Amino acid sequence: MDMAVESPSSLANGDSSAVSTATTPAAAAAAASPPSSRMLQLAESLKLEHQFLRVPLEHFKKTIRAHHRCAEKEVSAVLSSVAEAADRSDAMSREAAVNHLSSLVSRLQGLKRKLEEGSRAENLQAQRCRARLDHLDSIDVENLTEWSNTRLKRILVDYMLRMSYYDAAKKLAETSNIQDLVDIEVFLEAKKVIDSLQNKEVGPGLAWCAENKSRLKKSKSKLEFQLRLQEFIELVRADNNLRAIQYARKYLAPWGATYMKELQRVMATLAFRSNTECPSYKVLFEPMQWDYLVEQFKQEFCRLFGMTLEPLLNIYLQAGLSALKTPFCFEEGCTKEDPLSQEGFRKLAAPLPFSKQHHSKLVCYITKELMDTENPPLVLPNGYVYSTKALEEMASKNDGRVTCPRTGETFNFSELVKAYIS
Amino acid sequence: MELSTIKDAFDRVAKKQKLSCSKTLEVIDLVGQEIEQAMAKMQSTDNGAGCFDQKSILLELKTKLNEMVPMNQLEGSQRELNVGLVKYAKILEKYFNPDISKAYRNIDFDIHIVNQIIASHFYRQGLFDLGDCFVREANEQDAATLKSPFLEMYGILEAMRSRNLEPALNWASKQSEMLRQNGSTLQLRLHQLQFVEILQKGSRNEALKYARTYLAPFASVHKVEIQKLMACLLWAGRLDRSPYAEFLSPSHWERLAEELTQQFCSLLGQSYESPLSVAIAAGIQGLPTLLKLATVMAAKQQEWQAMKQLPVPVDLGREFQFHSIFVCPVLREQGTDENPPMLMPCGHVLSKQSIVKLSKSSTRPFKCPYCPLEATVGQCRQLHF
Ligand SMILES: [Zn+2]
Repeated sequence: MDMAVESPSSLANGDSSAVSTATTPAAAAAAASPPSSRMLQLAESLKLEHQFLRVPLEHFKKTIRAHHRCAEKEVSAVLSSVAEAADRSDAMSREAAVNHLSSLVSRLQGLKRKLEEGSRAENLQAQRCRARLDHLDSIDVENLTEWSNTRLKRILVDYMLRMSYYDAAKKLAETSNIQDLVDIEVFLEAKKVIDSLQNKEVGPGLAWCAENKSRLKKSKSKLEFQLRLQEFIELVRADNNLRAIQYARKYLAPWGATYMKELQRVMATLAFRSNTECPSYKVLFEPMQWDYLVEQFKQEFCRLFGMTLEPLLNIYLQAGLSALKTPFCFEEGCTKEDPLSQEGFRKLAAPLPFSKQHHSKLVCYITKELMDTENPPLVLPNGYVYSTKALEEMASKNDGRVTCPRTGETFNFSELVKAYIS
Repeated sequence: MELSTIKDAFDRVAKKQKLSCSKTLEVIDLVGQEIEQAMAKMQSTDNGAGCFDQKSILLELKTKLNEMVPMNQLEGSQRELNVGLVKYAKILEKYFNPDISKAYRNIDFDIHIVNQIIASHFYRQGLFDLGDCFVREANEQDAATLKSPFLEMYGILEAMRSRNLEPALNWASKQSEMLRQNGSTLQLRLHQLQFVEILQKGSRNEALKYARTYLAPFASVHKVEIQKLMACLLWAGRLDRSPYAEFLSPSHWERLAEELTQQFCSLLGQSYESPLSVAIAAGIQGLPTLLKLATVMAAKQQEWQAMKQLPVPVDLGREFQFHSIFVCPVLREQGTDENPPMLMPCGHVLSKQSIVKLSKSSTRPFKCPYCPLEATVGQCRQLHF
């Protein structure tokens, strides 16, 4: 449409050859550009896949760390056991000394077996990291439809896992054979904690905090403190005041400097007890506090694994709906092919901004195809505009006459004029 | 972005991991060996000085192990791996967008609506078991409304795949009137396919009977096609060697299956493509632009959360163009009912406001901004896209 500036004037001057020569190179350029711009677009879309690579990497790191910690612990235990034996060997019979050393040897052998097994698990995780890189690399203009379908499935599995719809997530992953491309195992780890919190137990949650202590500390996570508060509240609820105070001294006091206000508020429940009507304390005893803890845990969990806090589905859906949203989507005649013709999508899009256009984009009412230089818009005498393709086809079938599908008027093809839209 | 460099970087990390593993095992072996040697020594010293020997052996072992500094060795192998892992994570951060939620507007989607959309998506893709499982787990029983119509559709398509047109024909005859209104010739084409099938099996009489019953009603509107089909009767059983061999092409089946899907969805009031696929695909194309915009607008978080229209265009492929949008080239504004597009005699199109501004008076001619031709307001007429 860029050459519309010059073509109508030359047309008006009767120099139609100028039009065609002006059109050809530009059209050729337009035809040649899509593949490269398409590749550029693909490259841009791949840049969105950070989480896809980061999550298995974090999982991999975590496994490595756990195995290493285990090795360190065991070896150091063996070393100090040798040292200790050397120190008290005066009182030791030879048989006892040999037995002692022999037990240390089998302890080391046990560790070795465990680490060998662990190394196999690490290798599998490394393979998964690599498989994801290979999957990203396999995107191509040729397999784009299939690749995009897989991407949608990945996004859906991510959504279902975050919503704790584990069975459906597993089913989709298995039936599509994409287990390596989704993070079911990672989320099953979260499931343990989530389930326990829903059962009003803090144990697994605290264990998880201990496991990830240094990283949670680095991100200034409040989760452990919140879990401790809840445990304290439960002691108060059970009227176990003495234990509550002991508990607070041991587990809450260390957080005092950071969360003084919250600590004070919770300590005050000792005076009010669980049947308090005072709203600021009553809320602490409500069951929804546990739901809140589940949400907190999910957030910390996502952060730790380098995931977005929102499901990918929501992020993409929001971007897509905003990019698609025009005032026309909400009009009566909105085509069914537009997702925004549907009530559900319209509701989701309601709080989102409209898209913006800097250039006209015209879609033929009849063929739904874009009208451009290849298929330029033609104006009927009644002011309605359709694509050349549609009208030519209509005219060829009806002895050169065309019917306006929206008004029912009929015209001769010769009465139509071209419109130039820049 | 070069994925191959990232792959290389990862392969280096994986190598380090293997190295670290074997180094750890090596350290454990060495410690074990020292202990075993000490044990052997103890067992070989016959009766002798007893206690003293054990003590010296144990002390010697302790010293040896201390000299070996196994803890440092363990840490060393781990440290190198850690450096590699951190480096690789940085590479990922550099090549990829580490936070794609930066352009996210903080509103909560209605989970119920999202779940309904997902359930419908599964059913319309023919993933009925998965759909049921999802509906159960998400507790969205009323999201199953699309299940039975799509069960019917996939039943018809399944039958077509095994060359059974019966269910397709039944459906088409039930929807005959609606199909005609849609301008679809699906019913005729299904009958045509069935006719060719009968003919190919060699039964000319049956084919003729079929044609009289089912094809005849279309004869007045589709003269040419029916004539061709009737001529096929001459080649019963050997259609493949006739001028009409083309009727046997398997592509007819594929195209008809596609057309049936299209018509079926249309009559259900549904789109041909899954709306969820379309919206997500649009999001993947649009998000990079939105993320750039969010970075530029980082200081204006509030504006970002509240704006009614995106400040820049998000270019989507033509498959996402569902509506005609006219942007006046002079005003750079989208056309509206109050400010519609107007066609000038030269063929250029401007918005009404632009033309009013350019003309100054309704009778005086003014020059088109895009070509030398002149026009008056009266010569311009409104367009409808
Ligand atoms: Zn002009």
